[in-house]
Amino acid sequence: MQQTGSGRTLVDSRGSSCPGPITDLALAYRRSKRGDVIELWATDPGVKPDLQAWASKTRNEIVSIDDQGDKIVAVLKIVNR
Amino acid sequence: MAEQVLIVGGGDGGTILANSLDRRRFDVTVLAASLAHTFQRGFLDVALRGRRPRLVRDEGRLVGSHVRLVHDRATAIDLNAGVVATAGGARLEYDHLVIATGMTTDPSQIPGLTEVNARFGDYHTDIAQAKKLWAHLDTFNGGTIALGQSSPICKCPPSPVEGILLIDELLRAHGTRERTRLVFFTPYPRPYPAEGINDVVAPILEQRGVEVLPFFDVDKIDPEASTITSIEGDELHYDLPVVIPPFVGADIAYEPGDVVDEGRFVITDKESLRVKGSDTAFAIGDASNLPTSKAGVGAHLQAKVVAKTLAGKRATFDGRTNCSLDVGHGRATYVIGSYQAPVARAAPNRLKYVMEWLLGRFFWMSLKGTIDPVFDIYFKVTEPKAPKRQQ
Repeated sequence: MQQTGSGRTLVDSRGSSCPGPITDLALAYRRSKRGDVIELWATDPGVKPDLQAWASKTRNEIVSIDDQGDKIVAVLKIVNR
Repeated sequence: MAEQVLIVGGGDGGTILANSLDRRRFDVTVLAASLAHTFQRGFLDVALRGRRPRLVRDEGRLVGSHVRLVHDRATAIDLNAGVVATAGGARLEYDHLVIATGMTTDPSQIPGLTEVNARFGDYHTDIAQAKKLWAHLDTFNGGTIALGQSSPICKCPPSPVEGILLIDELLRAHGTRERTRLVFFTPYPRPYPAEGINDVVAPILEQRGVEVLPFFDVDKIDPEASTITSIEGDELHYDLPVVIPPFVGADIAYEPGDVVDEGRFVITDKESLRVKGSDTAFAIGDASNLPTSKAGVGAHLQAKVVAKTLAGKRATFDGRTNCSLDVGHGRATYVIGSYQAPVARAAPNRLKYVMEWLLGRFFWMSLKGTIDPVFDIYFKVTEPKAPKRQQ
């Protein structure tokens, strides 16, 4: 996890299968504040439904989910902290 | 002249590595903050089954005679200068450094948790805390038990689910299950984060009547009102809280400072296990920020990778996990995966329970390296298969 600029965090979860990318997202969410943007990289295809469920439960926004072949890049905006 | 290997930390990873290095080629020093080596997995038996196994051995009897064991605590690691400073005032130099300083519980991160766990105990901190929790569980006479992890990072990822299932087993034996509500809260979307194992444990939790609260990321605990509140805004009342605290890496001042993350975990290359930006330093076990389970098996396999690398052989860590998950009533399963292979679905059975029991019995021998050939065969036979990539 690294800060890439004001309020933007890059979470590189590529290759993480156990406990999985959702662990890294949960950690980034804990440390976030309203207005922050989290960019999550993952290779586990199961991350897509997890992100949708997460956004729905936490009432945060999925800006985009982009399958780039070698990785899935999700951009999330924290609007509910 | 022999190369100097300094291993900071005398836990599982540090001990296995020290015993795996060629004594003719390396001068090995282990800097250990404590000489009481503890089988941490055993906390579960103490806290949830009321057993009193012997969980502590003297580190001096676990490392080989070629190892110089220094009982002192590292306070600063200067990777640029190649020096480790200790609380006792020593300055240790090295040719190769291995950081194996583990992680510890830090209840102070959650408001109210320090007070709650001081009263009720927990099964991740130490034996005293585990005994305290057992005293509460053993005398519990009905109400709500709320169990879960209060932070996404957890030592031994199966342990939260194991905790609630073993408490269910205990209450059934005590005849108090019918008047107890068991609630399992988790920051994840489902009881077990990896889907293969979740497919196995979710039906068991349902069958045992355990309520699951997903996406429950603990924000604070109110000991007066006996409530736990989540970041997501949910509230949970408890009569007995079993809250797994957050974890942090060792309190060491690093130079450069950016080799540790916000949780004080050392930023480590996930395959070579080298510390970010360093050619001479490695990190293994719970101390690292590797995207894999915080568990003894990781420390074991990573220690072997570093031992091979130092011996001049080509070796990389593949992210292998191999964690037992005890579902109670004498059955267990294993959480097996790697960077390339997602965790596979594996049904619990009696044989896996016996294997887990045997691994516990052989734990001390595994640190000394005396049963390495058995482990080599085991890890080969159980190696997870990576799925074929879709074109």
